[in-house]
Amino acid sequence: MAKKKKKTEPAPEAKVGVYVCHCGGNISDAVEVDQVCQHARRVPGVVVARDNMFLCSDPCQEMIIEDLKSGLVDRVVVASCSPSLHEATFRRALARAGANPYVYEHANLREQVSWVHHGAAATEKASRLVAAAAAKARLLRPLESIRVEVQRQAVVIGGGVAGLKAALELGERGLAVVLVEKSPFLGGQVAQLQRLAPFGETAAEVISELTGAVLKHPAITVHTCAEVEDFAGYIGNFKIKVVRQSPAGAVYADRLARLSRSGRGLGEYVPFVGVMPAAIPEGREEFDLEAGAIVLATGFRPYQPRAGEYGYRDFPEVVTLPELIRQLAAAEGAGDTLVLNGRLIRQAALIHCVGSRQIPGVHAENEGGYLNEYCSRTCCSATLYAANQIREQYPKTRIFDFYRDIRTYGRGQEELYTEAARNGTLFFRFEAGEEPQVSRNPHRTSNPLLVKVRDVLTFGEELEVPVDLVVLAVGQEPNDIAHLVENLKIPVGADRFLQEVHPKLRPVEVSVAGILLAGTCQAPFDVGETCAAAGAAAVKAAAILTRGYVELDPFVAEVDLSRCVGTGACVEACLAEGALALVNLEVEGQMVRRAQVNPALCLGCGACVAVCPENAINVQGWTLKQYEAMVDMIVSDEYLEERAEG
Amino acid sequence: MEAEKYAGKILILATETCAYPGADAVGQGHQSYPANTYLLRVKDPVLFPEKFYLDCFAKGVAGIIIMSCGVESPYPGSYEALARRIDRVYPLMKAKGLDIRRLRLTAICTVCTRAFVNEVRQMHDLVSELGPPGRE
Repeated sequence: MAKKKKKTEPAPEAKVGVYVCHCGGNISDAVEVDQVCQHARRVPGVVVARDNMFLCSDPCQEMIIEDLKSGLVDRVVVASCSPSLHEATFRRALARAGANPYVYEHANLREQVSWVHHGAAATEKASRLVAAAAAKARLLRPLESIRVEVQRQAVVIGGGVAGLKAALELGERGLAVVLVEKSPFLGGQVAQLQRLAPFGETAAEVISELTGAVLKHPAITVHTCAEVEDFAGYIGNFKIKVVRQSPAGAVYADRLARLSRSGRGLGEYVPFVGVMPAAIPEGREEFDLEAGAIVLATGFRPYQPRAGEYGYRDFPEVVTLPELIRQLAAAEGAGDTLVLNGRLIRQAALIHCVGSRQIPGVHAENEGGYLNEYCSRTCCSATLYAANQIREQYPKTRIFDFYRDIRTYGRGQEELYTEAARNGTLFFRFEAGEEPQVSRNPHRTSNPLLVKVRDVLTFGEELEVPVDLVVLAVGQEPNDIAHLVENLKIPVGADRFLQEVHPKLRPVEVSVAGILLAGTCQAPFDVGETCAAAGAAAVKAAAILTRGYVELDPFVAEVDLSRCVGTGACVEACLAEGALALVNLEVEGQMVRRAQVNPALCLGCGACVAVCPENAINVQGWTLKQYEAMVDMIVSDEYLEERAEG
Repeated sequence: MEAEKYAGKILILATETCAYPGADAVGQGHQSYPANTYLLRVKDPVLFPEKFYLDCFAKGVAGIIIMSCGVESPYPGSYEALARRIDRVYPLMKAKGLDIRRLRLTAICTVCTRAFVNEVRQMHDLVSELGPPGRE
C-alpha cells in the first residue's frame, strides 16, 4: 500500500457540498438548520449548503447525486442522524453518482446534538461539527474498498421460535446453518404455553412443526447445551468458540423430570418442556464455528414478581399467568367450576401490567435496580384469552379483570376483549400507582383472598372483591445475555433489550454489521411478530451469504514515500504481526529501506501513525491532518461571525 | 466572575466501536449534557501522538476526554500503548503549565450512558473551575 506519489494537501479544486437534514423536526426542533447552513457556506472549501426535511429520502439523495454529477461538488458532508444509520446510505448515493464513496463525511446532529442539547448552544455546536466535517471532507481522497470472501454459513444463537424459524428460512435457501441453544431443549418460552392468543393454535403444533423441519434439514446442525464462549471477526468472517456441556445447577430439573414422566424420547415434543433433540453431554466439549452472519434469537423470560408483590409467594393462591397456564393444562375438567390443585375456583382476579409500564418514583425498582418502563404488549391479549378460556369451559367460575389500560392491538385481538365483555368478565380499571391490593380475606367468606381497588370506571369507588385465585399478567424481560453482549459488542437499549439500528428503517440490524436480531431479544413480541422478525433477519443474513463477498472499508495504514525515511518506528509500534515491515524499495532511482503495509493484515488502529516522526504513515480516511483540520474548525469562530456582504 | 461563566470547549475522542455508539445511546435516551463538548469519532485514539494533545490545548481546547474501549479494544494492545502515551503527555502538559486534569483517559462502552454523562459533566465542571488552558 505504499505509493510513490501522494497528495498530502487538499486538491485546490476540492468542492465540498454540505447537506443538513431536519429529520422531520428531530433535528430542526432544537437546531436552527438555516443558520447551520449559513455558517457552513463560510467554511473554506464549501461551495453549497442545502437543507431538507428528510435527506435520506430518494428525492434528496437524487439532489446530492445531481450536485455531484453536475460537477458542482466533489466532496459531500451530510449532517443528519448517527452515521451508524445512514453513512452507508449516503456512500451508496455517491457511488450511484459515479463518485468515490469515500469522499464523504458525516456529522451527527441528531443523537449527539438535537436529542441532547437545545437552544442557541445546540445550533452553535451543530455549526461547529458541520464545519469540522467539511474541513475533513476537503482533505479526503478517493479510496478503494477491500473485498473479502464470505463464509457461507450462518450461526443462529437461540433455539426458541425465533431461532428455529430463522434457521429454517436460511436452510431453505440452501445455506449452511448452525443453531446454538443454551438449554437442552428447543422451543423456548413458547413451549411453556399451551394455546396461543388470539387464534388458539397450540404451542405443540407450532413447535413440533418447526423443530421437525429443523432437525431433519440437511443444511442445519443443532447444538443444545451449547453456549458462545468467545467471539472474533467481522461481517463475512466471524469466528465463534462454542462450549457444550451439561447445564450447571438444577435450572432445568423440572423440565427434565416432566420429560422423564412423559415417556417420550429425543426429538419428540413434550408440553411445557419443548423438544430435546440430543442427550445432555457428560463432559465438556469445545469447538469453533465460522460464520458469515449471526442471527441472535436469545429470547425473553417472563417477569418474576418480587416476594410480596401483589401477595406473590405470601399467598399460594397468587400465581403468574404462565403458572396458571400450566395449572389449567392439568385442571380436573368435568364440572362447570374450575378446580386447580384440588381447590374450587369460584372467583378469580386477573391483574394486568405486572412488571411492565413501571414508572420511576411511583413503582419500586426491581432486584438489580431497574424499572420496566415499557409495555410488554402481549400480556393483555394472553390474559383475556385465558379469561375467555375459563369462562367458556367453567361458566360458574367468575372472572374479575383489573387493568390499567387494555392494549389488545392487532388482528383478532380486540375480539378477545369483546368476547370477555360478552361472557361476563367484570372489568375494573386502576390508575398507575394505585394498583390493586391483595390481602388475606378478613371477612368470614370461603374466598381466601381479598382484592381492593379504587375503580376508575365507577368514578373512584373503593371496591373489595373476594377471590379464590389471583393471576398476575407478567410481562416480558430480556434474557440475561451480558456475556454475549460483552463479547459481540452489541448495543443494549435503556429497556435492556438488544437495540436495532433503526426501529423502522433497519429493524433487525444492530450496529455491528453482519449481526441480526430475531424476536424477543429485541422487544416484547407475540409469536406471529417473532416469526416475522426471524424471517426478516434470515433474509438479511442470506443476502450477506449469497453475495459471496463483502466489501470492507479501506481504512488501513498507508505510507507516504515522499516523507518516509525508514526509521522503523511504525514497524515497532504495529499491533498486528506482519502488517508493517521495512523493505528495500526503489525511490527516485535509489534503493532505500522504507515501511510497507500489508493491507490484508493491517487493523487500521493507527498505532503506527502516532510514532512516526515524519508523519509519513496515516490511516486512510482518518489521517492526522484531517483530525487537526477538524479541531481547527471546532475552535474557530470565523465562520460563525456575521460579515458584511461584498 | 469570568471563570465561573467559562465553558471552554471539550474535545471527546470517542472510539467508533465503543464510546461513539455509547454517545449515540445517550442521545437515544435524551439524556442531556453540556453542549460545549465536541465528539470526534476515531478508530482508536492510539493514533494520536503526544503533540496532538498539546496542539489542541494551544489552540484553545480546554479539556480532552479520551473515551477508549479500554482493555476491550478491538485492537489488542492498543489500550496499553495509549495509556503509556498519555503518561508521557502529562509531564509535557506540566511543562507548559497546563493542569493535567484537562486530559482524561477513560473507557466507555456502547451501553455506558451514565458513565459518559458523568465524565462529560466532571470535565465541564473542571474546565469551568480552571478557566482557559494555560491560565491555571
